Amino acid sequence: MRDARIVSRRFELPQSHTLEVARAHGAYTRLSEAFDKTPSELIEIIDQSGLRGKGGGGAGAGEKWKLMLPHDPRPKYLAVNCDESEPGTFKDRQIITKDPHLLIEGIILTCYAIGARAAYIYIRGEYRAHQQILQAAIDEAEAAGLLHVKGAPLLITVHRGAGAYICGEKSALLESMEGKRGHPRLKPKQKECEWYFGNPTLVNNVETIASVPFILYEGAAAYRSFGTEKSPGTLLFALSGHVQRPGVYEAEFGTSMMAYIEHFGGGIRKGKKLKAVIPGGASTAVLTAQEALEACLDYESMQSLYSALGTGGMIVMDEDTDMVLALKNLLEFYRHESCGQCTPCREGTGLADTLLSRVLEGHGNTGDIDKLLELASTMDGQTICVFAPAVAIVIRGFLLKFRSEFEARMHA
Amino acid sequence: MIEIFVNDQSLHVNEGVLLIEALIQNRIDIPYFCYHEALGMDGNCRMCMVGIEGQKRPQIACDTIVKAGMRVHTTGERIEDVRRRILELELVNHPVDCPICDQAGECKLQDFYMDYGLYDSAVSKGEKVHGAKHVDLGANVMLDQERCVLCARCTRFTCNITKTHELGIIGRGDHARISTMPGRKLSNPYAMNVVDLCPVGALTSKDFRFAQRVWFLSSTPSVCHSCAKGCNIFIDHNAPKYQKERIYRFRPRRNDAVNGHFICDAGRLSYKSLNDHRLTCNNPDAMDRAKALIQAAHNIALLVDANLYCEQLDALVAFAQRIGAQLYCPNQCYYDEGFGDEWLRRPWRAANLAHINTLGITQSTPSEAHDLIISFNHPDLSSLTCKHKIAFSTHEGVEADVVLALRSWAEEAGTLINITA
Repeated sequence: MRDARIVSRRFELPQSHTLEVARAHGAYTRLSEAFDKTPSELIEIIDQSGLRGKGGGGAGAGEKWKLMLPHDPRPKYLAVNCDESEPGTFKDRQIITKDPHLLIEGIILTCYAIGARAAYIYIRGEYRAHQQILQAAIDEAEAAGLLHVKGAPLLITVHRGAGAYICGEKSALLESMEGKRGHPRLKPKQKECEWYFGNPTLVNNVETIASVPFILYEGAAAYRSFGTEKSPGTLLFALSGHVQRPGVYEAEFGTSMMAYIEHFGGGIRKGKKLKAVIPGGASTAVLTAQEALEACLDYESMQSLYSALGTGGMIVMDEDTDMVLALKNLLEFYRHESCGQCTPCREGTGLADTLLSRVLEGHGNTGDIDKLLELASTMDGQTICVFAPAVAIVIRGFLLKFRSEFEARMHA
Repeated sequence: MIEIFVNDQSLHVNEGVLLIEALIQNRIDIPYFCYHEALGMDGNCRMCMVGIEGQKRPQIACDTIVKAGMRVHTTGERIEDVRRRILELELVNHPVDCPICDQAGECKLQDFYMDYGLYDSAVSKGEKVHGAKHVDLGANVMLDQERCVLCARCTRFTCNITKTHELGIIGRGDHARISTMPGRKLSNPYAMNVVDLCPVGALTSKDFRFAQRVWFLSSTPSVCHSCAKGCNIFIDHNAPKYQKERIYRFRPRRNDAVNGHFICDAGRLSYKSLNDHRLTCNNPDAMDRAKALIQAAHNIALLVDANLYCEQLDALVAFAQRIGAQLYCPNQCYYDEGFGDEWLRRPWRAANLAHINTLGITQSTPSEAHDLIISFNHPDLSSLTCKHKIAFSTHEGVEADVVLALRSWAEEAGTLINITA
């Protein structure tokens, strides 16, 4: 398997989070190369590179940057989404603890490109220790006089979340940053940038921003030399569950899922057979072992399997896994994390969890499976954000692909 | 104006309005909890689903702006099925305690259930998420968290309208609750409007709850007399068996030129004085004694209340001329500077002072030269000294040589001129 380390290049170095080590290995040394270009040239390079948002949605980053209204007189902001809370996903954590300076460098470049002079890193509340490393890195960079955009001072602020998964949704994140409840906003009627206190704002995932320096220095073609046509570049895929070596390993898009699990994860835990893989964080449709054999780690392949690449955080489950319990675990998570704004999600996540509890307690009947499936369709596409549709995907994936396991638990 | 088609019926609506507004204005049935004309859309209840031709999925009418030629369906199996299923979710954790709920009869949840629901509950009682049942939020507002549909109308009212921010939603998912901050109470002069805003039985008025089933009440449109603003209200009244007619509550009546959708709490609770300590009958010889006093008097002052209707005041002007009396309306007793605010409350606490001004009635205390004062419900009669007094009064407890019963403003029809500034 080809070495494809773009973001994780410095992860293995001792003390890689310090400015000294990062600088010795190339951090901040080529900023002036980018500053020599115009902001619109930089946005064009990002667009050409085909960089896709790495927070789960996979929307084109260039497309998003182009929505940033270059001639608008209002101040512009960058919000870096580090509210990483998706079960099975822990890649952003690696970046901010192993190479925070890569993120900071990405922020400087992005702010230059979009005309922002202030950036916020919205970090999940539970990442306290990680936040301290990140803050120390920002302080170091500040002290070294690095926090500027072509001479104009740049303010980077770490904003700690209060532990709500939904604040990873970009508009809920901004609501939370504005001091309100983290409720997703209604979607605009046309394509537009995000708004922070009514000012044009770009929201991107940590890994997306951390990919920016490589692309801007090496060029779009260098980035496109990795990955596939529609999924260019690399991703910090994460492995958890029943593998020998769980962890975060960067690979290029298009890598075979099983080859990845073998190569980096050392295969399924001893002597066991694969049963299922949730491919991209909890909110993507579960794949059966058969589907996992065909799957490649890119957007197209996952779409053809009616699942999604999501955050690339794979949860591997071996033959001993109880799929009913696994779904229960996920539904408890969704019930706990639904923001409670829209009725189908607020009540649907709870009802799904209640129905499955009934099954696990031995009071279920076959009607409960149909009820759960009906609930999934009620939750799909009827809400402000994609939280409830994701739950619908999860429920359908488990019930339709492993129906016999659920039926075996039923009374009648 | 643009043309849209709803259920194949052509409608002409203003450009740029929300579809739900167009539907409501044209009296097309559409269920909703969170949208409110005064609060705008929030998009959280997901009840106002409609089918729009060209759109794959049902859309919420409150987050859709009308477009020329738009074809909308508010009925049909698919739409009704979606509404039914979302409504079912609203009721998952609802206690379904309509028989003991004060909102029954004017509850949107109940209405929609009869329209779209009619199914058995998906969860048993033991599986429901429970919340606090009798939370005294303050300002006469009681909260039952289990009945709440989290439409956020009440929180939006305190955030966007009164800007007092007492109410908020705490918790997430099916544990989300309306609440005040710990140790804090709902307290603003307009707080009880949240009871009207609440589409269900979550917020009820401590003053009205359990007093009367709403289907026994008759509503009469009227105007509040609590200050010079003239907020439009409904008087909800009923005569319980073997009892006299009573007023049970005032509710705001929409008038965008005066009070919009709201009234203040002081006005809302002012109905109480119309029920209690009322003077309802006269002594048999009262009229004769009054006539005798008037005939014997040389210098009569006619005191009029600034809450009387224009028609009454006009008649009293004629009456004063006929008996040669001088008209007065001492106004200091109506002025309460602390009561006024920037929104609906006016410091002049009488409903028809503008007409008193128009008629040029003297607004100072009558001179001591008068040997008879005839008062038509003026509140300050007792502070005046005079040889003889005749009082026409709505309430008991007035001291005068002759006291005659007067119908209250709620029992009369008439015209008022308000002071909007």
